[in-house]
Amino acid sequence: MHKLLETLLIGLSTGSIYALMSIALVLVWRSTRVVNFAQAGQAMLSTYIGFEIASRTEIFWLGLAFAIAAGALLGAGVDFFFMRVLFKHAVSGAAAVVAPVIATLGLLGLIRSIVGLIWGGEFKSIKAPASTDGFTIGETTIPFSALNLLVIGTVFSILIVLAIVFQRTNLGLSLRASAYAPEIAQLAGIKTARIRTIGWAIAGGVGGVAGMLVTSNNFLSPYSLDLLLVFGFIAAVIGGLESMVGSVVGALILGIALTFILNYVGTSLVFIGGFVVLILVLLVKPDGIMAKGKARRA
Amino acid sequence: MIRKTGVKRTWLAATVLAVGSLIATSLPAHAETGVTGSEIKLGITLPLTGAASPGYNKIGNAMNAYFKYVNDNGGVYGRKVTLIQKNDEYSPQLSIAKTNELILKDKVFALVGPLGTANFTSVHKSVGIAKRGVPSLFLNTGFSGFANKKTYPTSFMILPSYAMEAKIISQFIKENHAGKKLGIVYQNDEFGIDGMGAFKAAGIKFDVSVPYTSGTQSAATAQTWVSQLAAGGAQVVVFFGVTSATAPLLAVAAGAKYSPQWILGSVGADPLTLRALGVPLAVLNGAQTPAGNPSPNDTSDEYVKQFQEINTKYNAGTAFDDYVLQGMNIGLMTVQGLRAAGPNPTRKGLIKAMETKGSTFASVAYSPLGYSQTSNVGHTGYYMAVMDANGDRKPFGGKVKLYTTDSGSGPVVVSTFKRPAMPAKGLPSNS
Amino acid sequence: MRKKIAFFIFLGWILLLIGDRVDELRVYQGAQIAMYTIALASIVLLTGYSGQVSLGNGAMMAVGGYSAALTLNNLGSPVWVAFLMAIVASALFGAFLGTAAARLSGPYLAGTTLALAVGLPEIANQFNFLGGVPGLLFDVGFPPERLGEEFTQYKWFFWIASFIALLALFITSNILQSRYGRTWRAIRSSPLAAELSGINSSRMKILAFTISSALAGLAGAVMAMTISLVAPGAYTLTLSFALVTGAVLAGVSSLPGVVFGALILVAIPEVADVVATRFGGGENLNNYLPTLIVSVLLILSVIFTPNGPGEKLRRHHHKKKI
Repeated sequence: MHKLLETLLIGLSTGSIYALMSIALVLVWRSTRVVNFAQAGQAMLSTYIGFEIASRTEIFWLGLAFAIAAGALLGAGVDFFFMRVLFKHAVSGAAAVVAPVIATLGLLGLIRSIVGLIWGGEFKSIKAPASTDGFTIGETTIPFSALNLLVIGTVFSILIVLAIVFQRTNLGLSLRASAYAPEIAQLAGIKTARIRTIGWAIAGGVGGVAGMLVTSNNFLSPYSLDLLLVFGFIAAVIGGLESMVGSVVGALILGIALTFILNYVGTSLVFIGGFVVLILVLLVKPDGIMAKGKARRA
Repeated sequence: MIRKTGVKRTWLAATVLAVGSLIATSLPAHAETGVTGSEIKLGITLPLTGAASPGYNKIGNAMNAYFKYVNDNGGVYGRKVTLIQKNDEYSPQLSIAKTNELILKDKVFALVGPLGTANFTSVHKSVGIAKRGVPSLFLNTGFSGFANKKTYPTSFMILPSYAMEAKIISQFIKENHAGKKLGIVYQNDEFGIDGMGAFKAAGIKFDVSVPYTSGTQSAATAQTWVSQLAAGGAQVVVFFGVTSATAPLLAVAAGAKYSPQWILGSVGADPLTLRALGVPLAVLNGAQTPAGNPSPNDTSDEYVKQFQEINTKYNAGTAFDDYVLQGMNIGLMTVQGLRAAGPNPTRKGLIKAMETKGSTFASVAYSPLGYSQTSNVGHTGYYMAVMDANGDRKPFGGKVKLYTTDSGSGPVVVSTFKRPAMPAKGLPSNS
Repeated sequence: MRKKIAFFIFLGWILLLIGDRVDELRVYQGAQIAMYTIALASIVLLTGYSGQVSLGNGAMMAVGGYSAALTLNNLGSPVWVAFLMAIVASALFGAFLGTAAARLSGPYLAGTTLALAVGLPEIANQFNFLGGVPGLLFDVGFPPERLGEEFTQYKWFFWIASFIALLALFITSNILQSRYGRTWRAIRSSPLAAELSGINSSRMKILAFTISSALAGLAGAVMAMTISLVAPGAYTLTLSFALVTGAVLAGVSSLPGVVFGALILVAIPEVADVVATRFGGGENLNNYLPTLIVSVLLILSVIFTPNGPGEKLRRHHHKKKI
């Protein structure tokens, strides 16, 4: 019983971090039609900046704030200086389907090497903002800690803020409008290019939070966020790539499923577990769990 | 006619003499690959970047620092020793590509300290290390498969094998933790193949056994290990894996207020790395670990003291930890090997020197070296140590109790072996 | 057809000559180029012709490599049977996966194959007969004695790899010029029109996926030969990404381009190394400069010649003619 509860809770905590990464990927996909592999790099660079602040001031939350700001700036910068140039040289022909993916992979490598040049390859760790002591239920202490709770809390606060921004503000309306019907949005007087950059900035900030939260429980290196990207992407695909709600649901499903595999099946099968979950979902719903008919197929 | 023949003979003799002397004088210059009048070139492949690099990426620089120190003090028979480091990111393809560059392009004399089990297995086969006769000294892996002198005639191990380690831990458990519930967390690769087999052979049965796959270690995974261990009520937990997995395991266990007696395998117990990874010191306190070398903080040890001085001068800015100690020691042993091969070293000569004189080399580790005509096994034993609250380690029971054994079915014995003294100023003068 | 056969035989003859004239390091790199050529051809067929994006070709190579190694080690069969098994096993696996993949488009397929690339090689750690992290040896044996004392192991690898690569390219180019190749291109450029003209596009996509997997599997077995081993560490995500990179650098729809792409993949690390050594300064610089150079090259080439340098030249030429 304890084990089941613990598996669910830890799965929830893991999945909620995947949710942040997958939201970042979905935001960019919706506005730009690019699966942004560089998101892992952007998040990593933001986390290194957050790490510097957090380890100098010993205040985690200040580090987090800086990581968000850095992530947002970086996201906007990537869109403005990189994506616009890329799309100016509009790709046609057979390479059109792979070129943007390759470009973001190149960007990931670029950011990784810059981080490596500055900070080197040593592992860094950030002091956790909450106790890592597990909660005690009756007689047993389970390895689910205040930090796990804090992670879940932070993620869901961010989700709520994002939901309010998207549903209740003009900015949110513009973001949604230019994602679904860029031409019409443009006719309606929305500056779609600027709105797109804002979308990238939000994605960057969210990615920064994901990096900081993962690192508070683990360590940081130029490679440490790669798996987060992979699982975030899988979660986004499960969720249907278009829907933020879908990607959050996908991430939680993935997080819990993987923790179940870890706890009950075996560690070697965790990675392939992600594939199995994904293929099962896609066999039932080829456009992800939140797809509504074929109309919105990419 | 006769006179003519005489002249001819004189000419012939002169020519033979001239050619002979030419050959004679050119012989030393016509030396072995990678050896010139002023230099001996060596090579190493190791992960300098990538997920597997932390810790290991210090080894090459530490070796280099030691070689620079030797070079500044006259080198090896007047030749300076240079080390070419190549980054293989721990991938077998890159190991082969880079080793090919070392051997075919840079034309190194020998490989020293190559890292990784899968890496060296494939390098050895594909590059044809044995066929080319390239000496590969001091492999940085404890995989007992390399102890096969028939398959690996030009390779020499340095670390005790994982099997030896598991046998010694088994003996230690029998002596000190008899009757307790046992648990193990192990990386299911060569550690598993080597270590688990040896535990089983030694008659140690684990009540809880948690395998994990290299690369999956994280706080989230560690939480599941801890809950399995705690659920099984393990009182003594052996950990047989890498440092990046030790860290989350200990941290999570501390969080879950689960505190068994930890026995950390030598690979995953570097305190400096652990501390850098944020493991609370309280958890390290009391953890037991098999160790081959003295603590890198033990300045009363003549080796450690000398190596620390070299590190300060030639490797400035690098913290002196187990990896640096290991790198320096490989450097020290390499120089002894080169000296033992004589003033005009050849690859064959180096291998012969390792077989005939290698077991007498000075090395920081306490246990005897097993090199001989029929064995390429390096160090053969461990002592058990206890970590204190500063992450430093002291011998268990206050005094080094050295266990030695082999990778096979041989017994574990307590040894009174005394390691050779550090050469004066850390500069070998053997021959 | 006869002309083409003659051309490939001529190519083979040139390779033989080259193999005799360069040093061992280059011969080894030649074998690697041959291996990458096959692997890139599998991507060109899949992405350039049938328009499906796969990030999981490394996993397909693993299927081929492990099948070959298991065949060779357990059945004690001749080497060519092992290579054949690699093709058969990966084709079957590809057909199975392609059936699922045919329903997926664009990023969905990319995501699925990415998950596969990350997960599949790790399975080897779960089952003992797959050898775990140290992997399984794959030994094609020494070159036949009649080739002489001087004939090195690497030249033997080079011969085998080149022969297989030429054969694979020959067959692939025939497939691409056949009815199938044209159909794939039709589906890629206009799926709807293709459906309307009676093409069963999902069956055609599955076929493309199957053939592409077979090629990747073959490349995986050739790689196992050159590194004498199959191990999870050999078929990483990095490999999958490198293959897509190579395909883009080659021009993703040009089969002859794959040779160029393979050449770049092998040359870049060495060139980067040389540059890094030249500017040799801090340790971080030496370690990360290669990645930096590769990334910048990649970005520049995507921006300026997204369809490959070959394509650009061709178009240039074309314009001139007009």
